Amino acid sequence: MSATAPVTRQPGTRTDEPTGRARPTGLASPPRRRLRWRTMQNLKGASLSFPFAAGFALFAVVPILMALRESVYTQKSSGLGFGESVVTFVGLDNLARAVGDGVFWSAMWRVFLYAIVVVPVTQIVSLGMALVLDAARRRIAARFRIALLLPYMVPGIVATMVWIFLYSPAVGPLGKFFGLLGLDVDFFSGDMVWVSIGNLVLWGAIGFNMLILYGALQSVPHEIFEAARLDGASEVRIAWSIKVPFVRASLVLTTLLSIIGTLQIFAEPMLFRSVTPETITKDFTPTMMIYNQAFQVGDINYATALSVVLAVVVGVASAVFYRFTNRTES
Amino acid sequence: MSNATTRIRPWGARSRVAALAAVAVGATGLAGCAGGTESSAESTGDAPADGPVSIEIWGWDELGEQVVDAFNAAQDGVEATYVLQADNVAMATNFRNAFESGTDVPCLAQGFAPLTTMVVNGWAQDITDVVEPSLGNYNEGAHNAAQVNGRFFGLPSGSDGQYLIVNTATLDEYGVEIPATWDEFVEAGRELKEHDVHVTNFAGEDPTALMNLAQQAGAEWFAIDGEEWVVNFEDAPTLQAADIVQQLIDEDLVSNETYQDRPALYSYFDSGNMAMTPTQWWSLTGLQTNFSDSLGDWKATTLPQFDLANPVSPGRTTPSFVPVGCEHPEAVVAYSDWRTTPEGIEAGRNPETDAVGLPTQIPDPAPYAADIIPPGFFTDDAEAAEVIVDAQSKVIGKFELGPNYDAWFPEMQDQWGKAVAGEQTIAEALAAVQQYVEDDLDRKGIAFRDAS
Repeated sequence: MSATAPVTRQPGTRTDEPTGRARPTGLASPPRRRLRWRTMQNLKGASLSFPFAAGFALFAVVPILMALRESVYTQKSSGLGFGESVVTFVGLDNLARAVGDGVFWSAMWRVFLYAIVVVPVTQIVSLGMALVLDAARRRIAARFRIALLLPYMVPGIVATMVWIFLYSPAVGPLGKFFGLLGLDVDFFSGDMVWVSIGNLVLWGAIGFNMLILYGALQSVPHEIFEAARLDGASEVRIAWSIKVPFVRASLVLTTLLSIIGTLQIFAEPMLFRSVTPETITKDFTPTMMIYNQAFQVGDINYATALSVVLAVVVGVASAVFYRFTNRTES
Repeated sequence: MSNATTRIRPWGARSRVAALAAVAVGATGLAGCAGGTESSAESTGDAPADGPVSIEIWGWDELGEQVVDAFNAAQDGVEATYVLQADNVAMATNFRNAFESGTDVPCLAQGFAPLTTMVVNGWAQDITDVVEPSLGNYNEGAHNAAQVNGRFFGLPSGSDGQYLIVNTATLDEYGVEIPATWDEFVEAGRELKEHDVHVTNFAGEDPTALMNLAQQAGAEWFAIDGEEWVVNFEDAPTLQAADIVQQLIDEDLVSNETYQDRPALYSYFDSGNMAMTPTQWWSLTGLQTNFSDSLGDWKATTLPQFDLANPVSPGRTTPSFVPVGCEHPEAVVAYSDWRTTPEGIEAGRNPETDAVGLPTQIPDPAPYAADIIPPGFFTDDAEAAEVIVDAQSKVIGKFELGPNYDAWFPEMQDQWGKAVAGEQTIAEALAAVQQYVEDDLDRKGIAFRDAS
């Protein structure tokens, strides 16, 4: 006891020495104390993540488990439908129906095509703006940073309403503007609807992406730029060959978030449904179909099965992208 | 399999997720809604041993509280509290959550969906025995609207009868007569088209134009026959209505302005480029306050008819109902009856417009018609009041929308949108809806017969 006591008080040895190694059994008590101390430290550290873990469990894990549970049941009425419903276990029937649902997959394909355009465009524009801001003086950059972030603070529904009025062929200014240029642009037409939605989504998203990329750019060591300049590199060359590779990890992150967000697009087409109802049907995007099944048709079981399929697709798309970008990097 | 089968209240399982989410996220809001009411676990309809019966009323009528205050002052037997909801959608969400949680369910809920939906979901209680002694206070259409399968599940509620408003300046300019029948309406459309004027507007997202025409023609999309529904979206009256709509679309006689873009819609209506539109009494204030150039040019007239010998006006309503769990439906009926009295109607006078709403549920709303005419809108206010009262007297209160209206209406919106855009015919759209309804009923296990 007395032999080990000083050891535990020596700085450096407590954490460096693996616990339990070459420890005589008769001296079990002090190591236990040491273990306890380390465990306490670990727990303290882990406790910092508790709010996240609790929130994640409550708002992600529990709903997912509930969704999985709902997806294996179905409920049926009988007669005129006025009596009680009967809930029946159907196993994977709902999931199988979801996987084979042509309407759902055409919605998915539609959004996939849209994502192929809008995700890269969002990243390119955001990166371009971040690079311009990075090149500008700090005081000017700060002002623009806030201005560019403002659209991100506007809720999607509100932003869509604002843009619907801007696009309005009758009262909106954009149609008149293009009219001055001799162009007859109808933002509400079926052919233009993805462009109209993409534009407003871009408007809302670039601020957030730009901020992350701008933050990453700030952490690039400045001596590299100086070295490049001494070697005669232009600012464009510095941006392309030094800055962009340095923010690659952040670009992967913003692209992932963009993929996830785009595949779940809901509010914008939901509101645009009124202006081009012949194009935007109730099942236009996967989330619109899920919403319709849950809250209009009233089939929460099938809606959750569709949600599970969508989650898998989003997960796979994200994983593929991540894998692809990682492999290229290596 | 039987082990895995449990009997639940209708919509119980399907709303469980929403209810739990609401408990987690919106508990504060709900608590706020029901605040101040020391209610029982089942409903807010408490009856203290020595005092008036307490009932809670939920709705999104901004004048609701003022009406309830007047009701409380007018009698001692019932003490009502009004809980204002933000709108129809908020009302639906909050009600569903309260009902699922089983606490603070109101004793009177403003109708936020068709009555049959309320019954199918197990929300509305049968109040036939309580309401029957009071039926004399209400008109026939109000009686019809409040029933499902011959029983009263809703409070007698008036439907807003449709009539036509025409822009006389436009018609006079091009020498077009006001149509009395729908065939004449199409003919008027042809004449107006020569001058680049549309006869009316069909919003691409709103198939109620077709529903109204079908109802007026005498369609019956859903009917109950014993223990099964009879479904027919393709009966002769519906196809007659579809034919009128198809002509208007095919010959490009109508515009397709959306309701979503209100400023554009009003500006278009006001421009003189649209000659006429069916409407109902409550639209007038919105039209009057948003029009400028055409104010004073509009004339109210009877809606074109399919059968001039038997004129009718379409109109539906979503009656208020007494939720299952309320222990004092008689107190609710007392409140509803009081609202048909001159005092009850007066209590709803809007302090901003200084007008009372048209009491469409009472046998004779004529004395109140002049009150709802906004100044400066019509060419002849007295004539407009007569037309509105006449439309009310001819209104068909009932148009059964079946047990799965929430499911098929979005499908009808899709099909209507494509038909209005000329991508398919109205008949094809109706056939698709018929098929959708059958598939949905089949999946839900509800018995039906295809009568198409």
